[in-house]
Amino acid sequence: MKMNQATLVKSNYSSSGEVHKLLFLLLVGVAGCAWAQSPPKAPTVSMAAVPLTTAQRAQATMVNLNFRVPPGYHINSNNPKSEFLIPTALKMDLPTDIILGKIEYPPGEETSFPFSPDEKLNVYNGDFTIAVAVHPLHSVVPGKYQMHGVLRYQACDNAACYPPKTLPVSFEVKVVKEPPAHHANPAQSPHIHN
Amino acid sequence: MKRSPLALVVVAFVVALMLYVGYHRARRSGPAFAPRLTQSTIAPDFSLESLDGKTMRLSDLRGKAVLLNFWATWCGPCKIEMPWFVELQNQYASQGLQIVGVAMDDASKEDISKFAKDMNVNYPILIGKEAVGDQYGGVPALPESFLIGRDGKIVDKIIGLRGKAEIEDSIKKALDTKAVTSQAGLPETHTVSR
Repeated sequence: MKMNQATLVKSNYSSSGEVHKLLFLLLVGVAGCAWAQSPPKAPTVSMAAVPLTTAQRAQATMVNLNFRVPPGYHINSNNPKSEFLIPTALKMDLPTDIILGKIEYPPGEETSFPFSPDEKLNVYNGDFTIAVAVHPLHSVVPGKYQMHGVLRYQACDNAACYPPKTLPVSFEVKVVKEPPAHHANPAQSPHIHN
Repeated sequence: MKRSPLALVVVAFVVALMLYVGYHRARRSGPAFAPRLTQSTIAPDFSLESLDGKTMRLSDLRGKAVLLNFWATWCGPCKIEMPWFVELQNQYASQGLQIVGVAMDDASKEDISKFAKDMNVNYPILIGKEAVGDQYGGVPALPESFLIGRDGKIVDKIIGLRGKAEIEDSIKKALDTKAVTSQAGLPETHTVSR
């Protein structure tokens, strides 16, 4: 026997009292779900897209990576000044023959928090930039290369801290040939000797 | 029978809301089966190794009021609470309070020991495991403390750094509970062992 949905609803909810009862139960369910949402959520640092960078072979080129910490949170700087705090650190895994040069971290902001008013922590807030030097060797075939890595950080707000997280980092570098070596012409006499 | 169109609209709205909340809960990171711990829930039992190498089982503390504190060496707010816990342990030990710290840390046992020693901790510190954190809702942020009554039931939960007075009030609530003399009345608890 076939029964359409309308018939089913009609037979199951034959009085407005039952509809009200159902509404009440649904609202209680929603309230329960909303209560269960209450645990705090760990903040996520984001990275802005990196424009294609041209890097000449046999020399280092700096690439700026721009990150953002969500409002209301902070992460430790690269130098948090306590052995127990987890520093923000970038780890890159570059293609063969592209050497990772210096990673320049910005200085953190010396900040005291309500949970530690007497102690200043060195942190990153809002936007910050990490510069990475990439150095393609002479052997690298010119072309586009994808660089991959991870940013490890540990975030807190004014009252709680969240477990360390990693953010995948990637950007593209266009490797080009180095300019031809410039050889100075040997000195020539302005005079023509016959 | 006449069905109110308004009631149907409200039902549709509530169902849509429940689907939305359910979808976002499913997307949320964290343990897949995080239990909903509310007041009067029996605190999930576990057995963990302490810094001195002994194994401690939570259910062995039945009859005492327990403050179960999840913390980590990298958590600044946790560090603020610890001296308060030392004072509160001294103050209320004679009335039956037992504070227990659970280090949710990647640091070595030696580092955790050094940290605890530096903080003059006078209560047991256990080496935490993710499975135990999951039993307590995933412990998404630290510090997080559960106040457990003498009957083994959760009396209160404190997420993030709060004032010492607030913690003390919760301790008093836990101390005011009555111990269950017979195990027969207690529901079965699940144990995570090392």
